[in-house]
Amino acid sequence: MRLLRLREVKAFFQGHAASHQLGWNWIPRLSLSPKGLKILAASLSCCGCPTGKGMSWAQAILLARGLSRGWGGICSTALTGAPFSQVTPQAPRGLHCSTAAHNPDSPLVPRPPEPQRGLVKALAPHEELFRQAPDGVRDKASFVQAVQNFTQYNVHKRGHVDFIYLALRKMREYGVERDLAIYNLLLDIFPKEVFRPRNIFHSIFLHYPRQQECGIAVLEQMENHGVMPNKETEFLLTQIFGRKSYPMLKFVRMKLWFTRFKNINPFPVPRDLPQDPVDLARLALRHMEPDLSARVTVYQMPLSKDSTDATDPTEPHIVGIQSPDQQAALAHHDPARPIFVEGPFSLWLRDKCVYYHILRADLLPPEEREVEEIPEEWNLYYPMQLDLAYGRSSWDDYEFNIDEVEEGPVFAICMAGAHDQATLAKWIQGLQETNPTLARIPVVFRLSASSGELLASSSGLEETPLTPPEGREEEENNQQRQQQSQS
Amino acid sequence: MALVHKLLNGTYILRKCPKPSVASCPFLSTRFADYCSSSLEKPVAAPGKASSQRKTEGNLEGHHQREVDLDITSPEDKPEVSFDKAIKEEIKDHFRRLKDDIVNHWIGPEGRPLHEVLMEQAKVVWQFRGKEDLDKWIVTSDKTIGGRSEVFLKMGRSNQSALLYGTLSSEAPQDGESGRSGYCAMISKIPTGPFERKRFYDWSQFNTLYLRVRGDGRPWMVNIREDTDIIQRKDQMYSYFMFTRGGPYWQEVKIPFSKFFFSNRGRIRDAQYQLLLDKISSIGFTLADKVDGPFFLEIDFIGVFTDPAHTEEFAYENSPELNPRLFK
Repeated sequence: MRLLRLREVKAFFQGHAASHQLGWNWIPRLSLSPKGLKILAASLSCCGCPTGKGMSWAQAILLARGLSRGWGGICSTALTGAPFSQVTPQAPRGLHCSTAAHNPDSPLVPRPPEPQRGLVKALAPHEELFRQAPDGVRDKASFVQAVQNFTQYNVHKRGHVDFIYLALRKMREYGVERDLAIYNLLLDIFPKEVFRPRNIFHSIFLHYPRQQECGIAVLEQMENHGVMPNKETEFLLTQIFGRKSYPMLKFVRMKLWFTRFKNINPFPVPRDLPQDPVDLARLALRHMEPDLSARVTVYQMPLSKDSTDATDPTEPHIVGIQSPDQQAALAHHDPARPIFVEGPFSLWLRDKCVYYHILRADLLPPEEREVEEIPEEWNLYYPMQLDLAYGRSSWDDYEFNIDEVEEGPVFAICMAGAHDQATLAKWIQGLQETNPTLARIPVVFRLSASSGELLASSSGLEETPLTPPEGREEEENNQQRQQQSQS
Repeated sequence: MALVHKLLNGTYILRKCPKPSVASCPFLSTRFADYCSSSLEKPVAAPGKASSQRKTEGNLEGHHQREVDLDITSPEDKPEVSFDKAIKEEIKDHFRRLKDDIVNHWIGPEGRPLHEVLMEQAKVVWQFRGKEDLDKWIVTSDKTIGGRSEVFLKMGRSNQSALLYGTLSSEAPQDGESGRSGYCAMISKIPTGPFERKRFYDWSQFNTLYLRVRGDGRPWMVNIREDTDIIQRKDQMYSYFMFTRGGPYWQEVKIPFSKFFFSNRGRIRDAQYQLLLDKISSIGFTLADKVDGPFFLEIDFIGVFTDPAHTEEFAYENSPELNPRLFK
């Protein structure tokens, strides 16, 4: 039996106040069971003090000691500053004393807190089970091992609710949060057939509420990570909680809504993104470009020397995409007007952010825009342009009464490992092979720190000092042309 | 009382009143972002706008435990503390709007002739061509519950679009209550008539929502709320997902209204009902995809139109397993 420390008792009183603000979900999270609250309140009133908080800390510690002797432990919230949902009872250290987290008994007179201790996190009861991997490798096998250790350690599965909460928290470290087999394994920890309601009174009142909350927490984590439960989960839930329980209800809802929303993404991104940066860039560029006839070209593969590490190659990869329409537009572009390399802009693929640059030109002012006329002989079967003046009124008008945002055309997109001008210049050089007219057009680099916004074309506020004046760019282009003519 | 509200706040300090407001759903707590100050170019008409914002904020849920002071005077604006002038202008403005309203009622719904309204197939509801268009929106994030996400709204490239940008952080606030966090939202203000009467949108002839956006690949959620005075219905909304493609091209998103599913207090309900379009109060965009990092969304305009090829009335069936009472 262990005395509670002063902090714990303080936390207990604070937790008591906090427990009144409950979120509205199927998991009403209380810091203390109602029985405990009642007993504490009763004993406080017995002590003869008007309010619970009015009594001295010594009395509080005595009381707490008495309560902890009463049953298993007192749930102390906010002891470690952890979120509310985690209930970590400080069980009395009985026969199954573990070596971890043995706090000395606190004296009756409260000691001032030792400043040099720092944040001491009391370990959760079964946390040592998750530390037993000898080489520290955290993967599925060691997780399964830890779970199996628990089931062997404890035939009656005491504290299984806390163990399951702890395991749910640890899943991310072990990298198994999207593994359905692991979730089924966790559900397997529950003792079967015990929590099923057997008569009408069981079913009216929430039978074994903590266990049902725990089951719902497992399913909720599955939902958060997008894991679809299967028949084994259904069977386990029926075996553990019965068909009319809340975890089963949640399972039915998950089955319904997951199947409804499985394929609603018109631009699906695969769950396992490729690790290779070139493949990732290819995927991302294809994702962005709506034109299916666009071609992806790899201008430079990443090349790293053996001495440097792979994350910082000397030559970053450059992958670009351009469609035939864009090529044609670039060929028609007037060499007197500059084109701009803008970027980097961010693109999110699931949880990975990649950056891309674009090559675009400014809008032509209205007087210089020429409307391309299709000659009548182009198609003899039907006219390409009809100017029929039917008296149609607004019932047939599906256009929105707003001017579209006018922006200059985009000629190409690229993704590169580095965002500096040298890399992008290599991209431009590579583009010149398929777009010979690019050699004559001045290219201005407008690179900014990636703030995630597209630059303003009218005000070139974000031009870096690296942007050379156009004269120098033309020189550079001349040099490139010379190099090309030589090679 | 709206006028009393304005009297107390003649200067440009917005105060979030701890209203004993109904059923505060944490997803809809409101907080003003920085862009509000930009609307104060006309110092006379501005108190009306600033206070009308606050009044509509009171209509939406407010987080009743926090009182946030936002002093948003920009350095070059000298606040003109002149109550009488402000009040007079305010009253004149409202009477003018009332007169317009009465006159427009004779012309037709919303001041347009009836045949025009009936035959309309496509309508632009919100456009972003100037700073005053940004005033119709409120931007919130989980800062109201103690999280760390930030979100801002400003005019985009060459004043032709609105840019909603910020950083999402799913770090849960250490308040002992929330286990998860990380959301940002942009909600439209409820349209008001003269004397701040609540009005609604009537989209009963249309069947699809049209958005012209340019995103960064993140999935957003579009929420529509109905106009209702009943307290229990204030947490109900209809939502659907909007998947952005990313990239430098503008993306057209068309969501039929039959696809919106019903949710109450942030949870999808078992009994699903169709979205009825005759009394719509506001629309909102939420980002809560549990991925930390910066985001942006550029919106060109939001409109509604009739898609003649779309004949579905409602996309979600009620299942007898979940709703036995509906199938008796």
